[in-house]
Amino acid sequence: MTSVLRVQDLKKYFPLGKDLFGRPTQVVHAVESVSFDVKKGRTLGIVGESGCGKSTTARLLMHLIEPDEGRILIHGKEYGQIGGRHPLSELRKQMQMVFQDSYASLNPRLTIEDSIAFGPRIHGVKEVQARQMARDLLERVGLNPGVFIRRYPHELSGGQRQRVNIARALAIQPEIVILDEAVSALDKSVQAQVLNLLADLKKELGLTYLFISHDLNVVQYISDDVMVMYLGQVVESGPVEQLYRQSAHPYTRALLNSVPAQTPGTRKDYIVLEGDPPNPIAPPSGCRFHPRCEFARAICSEKTPDTVRVEGEHRAACFRLPQSAGHQHYIALQEVQDDTTH
Amino acid sequence: MTPLIEVKKLNVTFQGEEGPIYAVQDVSFDLAPGETLALLGESGCGKSVTMKSLMRLHPEHKTQISGQIQVAGQDLLSMKSSALSKLRGKTISMVFQEPMLAFDPVFTIGDQIIEAVRRHEGCSQADARQRALEMLERVRIPSAAKRLKAYPHEMSGGMRQRAMIALALACRPQILLADEPTTALDATVQIQVLLLLKELQRELGMSMIFVTHDVGVAIEVADRTAVMYAGRIIEQGPVQEVLSHPQHPYTQGLLAATVHPGMDRHQPLPAIPGSPPQLLRRMEDCAFAPRCPHAQEACSLPLPAVDHQAARWSRCIAHTSA
Ligand SMILES: Nc1ncnc2c1ncn2[C@@H]1O[C@H](COP(=O)(O)OP(=O)(O)OP(=O)(O)O)[C@@H](O)[C@H]1O
Ligand SMILES: Nc1ncnc2c1ncn2[C@@H]1O[C@H](COP(=O)(O)OP(=O)(O)OP(=O)(O)O)[C@@H](O)[C@H]1O
Ligand SMILES: [Mg+2]
Ligand SMILES: [Mg+2]
Repeated sequence: MTSVLRVQDLKKYFPLGKDLFGRPTQVVHAVESVSFDVKKGRTLGIVGESGCGKSTTARLLMHLIEPDEGRILIHGKEYGQIGGRHPLSELRKQMQMVFQDSYASLNPRLTIEDSIAFGPRIHGVKEVQARQMARDLLERVGLNPGVFIRRYPHELSGGQRQRVNIARALAIQPEIVILDEAVSALDKSVQAQVLNLLADLKKELGLTYLFISHDLNVVQYISDDVMVMYLGQVVESGPVEQLYRQSAHPYTRALLNSVPAQTPGTRKDYIVLEGDPPNPIAPPSGCRFHPRCEFARAICSEKTPDTVRVEGEHRAACFRLPQSAGHQHYIALQEVQDDTTH
Repeated sequence: MTPLIEVKKLNVTFQGEEGPIYAVQDVSFDLAPGETLALLGESGCGKSVTMKSLMRLHPEHKTQISGQIQVAGQDLLSMKSSALSKLRGKTISMVFQEPMLAFDPVFTIGDQIIEAVRRHEGCSQADARQRALEMLERVRIPSAAKRLKAYPHEMSGGMRQRAMIALALACRPQILLADEPTTALDATVQIQVLLLLKELQRELGMSMIFVTHDVGVAIEVADRTAVMYAGRIIEQGPVQEVLSHPQHPYTQGLLAATVHPGMDRHQPLPAIPGSPPQLLRRMEDCAFAPRCPHAQEACSLPLPAVDHQAARWSRCIAHTSA
């Protein structure tokens, strides 16, 4: 199968704070060497620590911000304002995004109907048709068009606004949809309804999704493949079943273990991640997770682990993996450590 | 024990383009000192509107509020605006569903927390700064000292949410209203923030109302839960009991629709069919009946009143008429 989307070595740093001369005093390492591929008709779930660069990656893909390094290819084509690249208006027809902040991403002065019809009209759909599309889509995300078309964003609840954003992204009939926490403000029944809608559209139109979420149960249900990020980097990726069943990276394990139990009477004993929260301004050397990792050895702070194949398409970056180039070194150090503790 | 919050027959009606919108109808509940109530319910059922009423945050000219709200022994609805601004942030404070509404985009996060602390506690700039820093650290924002100088748009969604929790807690309120406060957080940070809230609750004897869609979160933090549908509380009781033996068909449907680990990915999820009623009239009958698998003819009659003081109740004739 062909890749619809191919991302190579994406990097984005943000300046933070300015000195007297307007030079940045600090830099946030938001996205660092991120690479991945998405095949047509598949859903890639993206999970990871808050602040690890998920939304930044999404905004880079949409060209809302430009990367410092790296390439983004859609059907093998590069888009952007740089000479020789394909125009961004063409990109927007192929790829749309539902933003994490549903409030900030709707124009407060447009009614719901105008907001949804806006995109199709820009792309040449006739006024009447665009309005009809808006109504149909509202219906499909579970909002009665008769009640909502003339309302303004501030007159909606959080979950209603989120669904308007989903309708708006779908209105352009894109091939790729990035959903950044797009169902997190919905109650579980409406969430189920929207997830069913996304699955139906995927089947009907062969859509490809990038699904960013903190809800690991939902990610497991909706995704074909999952990518786990930590501090700007991809630490593990692979087919969903494999990754959930046999997670290879200690961060992925800690993450999966922190999900609250859904059954009454079972408050879990959580393995709370120890150590300081990661600092994207001065990221740790070597493996960025090493200061919080219970398995960390000397090599983990000295060298960056390369991403290796665990099995099939399942990959991870950790020296504990026998496939890792630094594995021998890791084991040797462990033996030394074991000897000294005995 | 006298309750810290007492809400009686709260009604909130908005003036919409096409007539009134009855967003909250006859909502009554109590909250005891140190207690946590989880508010669950359908998107658009009135959870945020109820919470905002407890701080009187609705624009007065477009909103009609009736009923009674007592907060820490004071009558909120008749309170003067000077008394109100003392109450807000100090006695009762709120974590909003939309972080961007809590912060002014043109000031740094630090300035805004420091300002709030100074206004309510009248302490020095240095002390207020210290408090702001301490709060950002406690909600586990990385490199907190530097983030004091960050603007809201320079933070990730989850950091903004934590900064807002820090702002809400900075003046050590007696009551915290938290509107989906952890939806933008990953599981590891979420559990840390929930544990922090419980710790502060023990430390300060704080009460909480927690709006969430995550049953797991409700189980983790709450003593009691109230489930809302179409502007009303339809079921209420101890969190473990309600979630393990839901009485109201809406609560049952809601729990059944929740995505569980290990579900068959190729089957559609069991969403409740149909959609909620428009809130264009007050409803004395059961608003859920048109979608209810157990609906009978009697469901279209006005429902008998429930005893809101009861430890456990639900607004369904299968349980009220017995
Ligand atoms: N415009 C900006 N200026 C400065 N720093 C920024 C900017 N945008 C993002 N950052 C920083 O980049 C890092 C990554 O942010 P991003 O929003 O991508 O995280 P995220 O993975 O989406 O997190 P969350 O799950 O909390 O939404 C964070 O440290 C954030 O503070
Ligand atoms: N300013 C307003 N004008 C008109 N209608 C409003 C206004 N604010 C809220 N509403 C309506 O009132 C109802 C209750 O809204 P509320 O924000 O309390 O929902 P909610 O339960 O918090 O939902 P969610 O889980 O989606 O956040 C919704 O149907 C909404 O459309
Ligand atoms: Mg984000
Ligand atoms: Mg709400």
